[in-house]
Amino acid sequence: MPQLDEKPRVLLEEFRVKNAPNDYGMADEKWSFKKFTKKFRIVIVRMDNFEMEFDLIGIQPAFANAFRRLMLSEVPSMAIEKVMIRNNTSIIQDEVLAHRLGLIPLKADPRLFEYRPEDATEGTEFNTLEFSMKVKCTLNKSQPKDSYRAEDLYENHSVYSSQIKWQPIGNQASVHKEADIGPVHGDILVSKMRPGHELDLSLVAVKGIGRDHAKFSPVATASYRLLPEVTLTREVRGSEASLLQSCFAPGVISLDSEGRAYVRDARYDTCSRNVYRYEEIKDAVILSRVRDHFIFNVESVGAMQPNVIFVEAVKILRDKCKSFLDELNKFN
Amino acid sequence: MNAPPTFESFLLYDGEKKVQKEEDTKVTNAAIFTVNKEDHTLGNMIRHQLLKDPKVLFAGYKVPHPLEHKFVLRIQTTSDYTPQEAFMNAITDLTSELSLFEERFKEAIKEKKEGLD
Repeated sequence: MPQLDEKPRVLLEEFRVKNAPNDYGMADEKWSFKKFTKKFRIVIVRMDNFEMEFDLIGIQPAFANAFRRLMLSEVPSMAIEKVMIRNNTSIIQDEVLAHRLGLIPLKADPRLFEYRPEDATEGTEFNTLEFSMKVKCTLNKSQPKDSYRAEDLYENHSVYSSQIKWQPIGNQASVHKEADIGPVHGDILVSKMRPGHELDLSLVAVKGIGRDHAKFSPVATASYRLLPEVTLTREVRGSEASLLQSCFAPGVISLDSEGRAYVRDARYDTCSRNVYRYEEIKDAVILSRVRDHFIFNVESVGAMQPNVIFVEAVKILRDKCKSFLDELNKFN
Repeated sequence: MNAPPTFESFLLYDGEKKVQKEEDTKVTNAAIFTVNKEDHTLGNMIRHQLLKDPKVLFAGYKVPHPLEHKFVLRIQTTSDYTPQEAFMNAITDLTSELSLFEERFKEAIKEKKEGLD
């Protein structure tokens, strides 16, 4: 067995998961800032407005998990919290309708708003967004003769999130642009109606956190996994090589011009232990994961860019630490 | 009808303290901290940081009940050190780590954006 370098690893063996023999676990090491600075690295792999993949290298699992939890449940976002129903004659019940509306992601940037105090009866322009939705379904007068599709027969048969209209309060119209406030997606189906059905609602959106309700979570998913590694211990060629290739996710194992297998990129390996089913090649590979290399995947709901969400999470954690220090100082 | 208020999981009630400290009566140099309105996010991280301090003999946390929004942290230290000092040092270390985090992350984002242009 070749000596793996000094990165901490978990080995994925045929019937068990084992720590590398020279790995005492990271929990007991003495901590020093200098050592941390040296080992710690961030690499951004993929980034756009909705999704981001990045690597945090050289951190503790407790840290990685804290960030994941913070992004899911403690970074704020705006969502519809109250629905005033003036008229609802559609078949969808008031409370179900209100719940559906609450789950529609809004574009409004939560950093520009404050939390609404729990005892406040009236919202202000700094902590509340108001919307209205007024839709009435009617018979389509100019309906085509030969069509029986509901969309052709009736006007406003389907109610979409794009029919939510922003009603600026106070100074809001000059501070925010209309394009930055409404629903992220205009094609979310809210309800289906028939002629005579009517919706007349006013909606109130506030800032909140995911711990209160999942609709306030700024991310669709935020997850992490450890970096997989595949090491070949001997030369594998010919039919064995193609068998080996078929045991892993596409792109993990490649064959060179002479038909020898080599590990091209284990990053997107699924870590299935399929190889161990084949006696002839199971001695040729070591499957492992690097214990301090976390691959984060953050998918934003649309209000903030994923990189902004992560920075917010870091800030929230730092503020918490600061307030903790203040509290502890009071004991002296 | 009997639903708890929505803010219950993150807002302190009137007069409720964020951190309470209680000395352990059976063991010297040990204390139990009760932290209100926090969960595993901070509990596990602080415990982890405490364990890296060689003068800390014991550090552990628990969330006593899933419906009570608090965690309990027990710290025992060597005789030339106090649990409170250990706690404060751990948090100071965490803060410095977080500053580095933010800095490095912003650098990485900047690099990535420059690379894309």
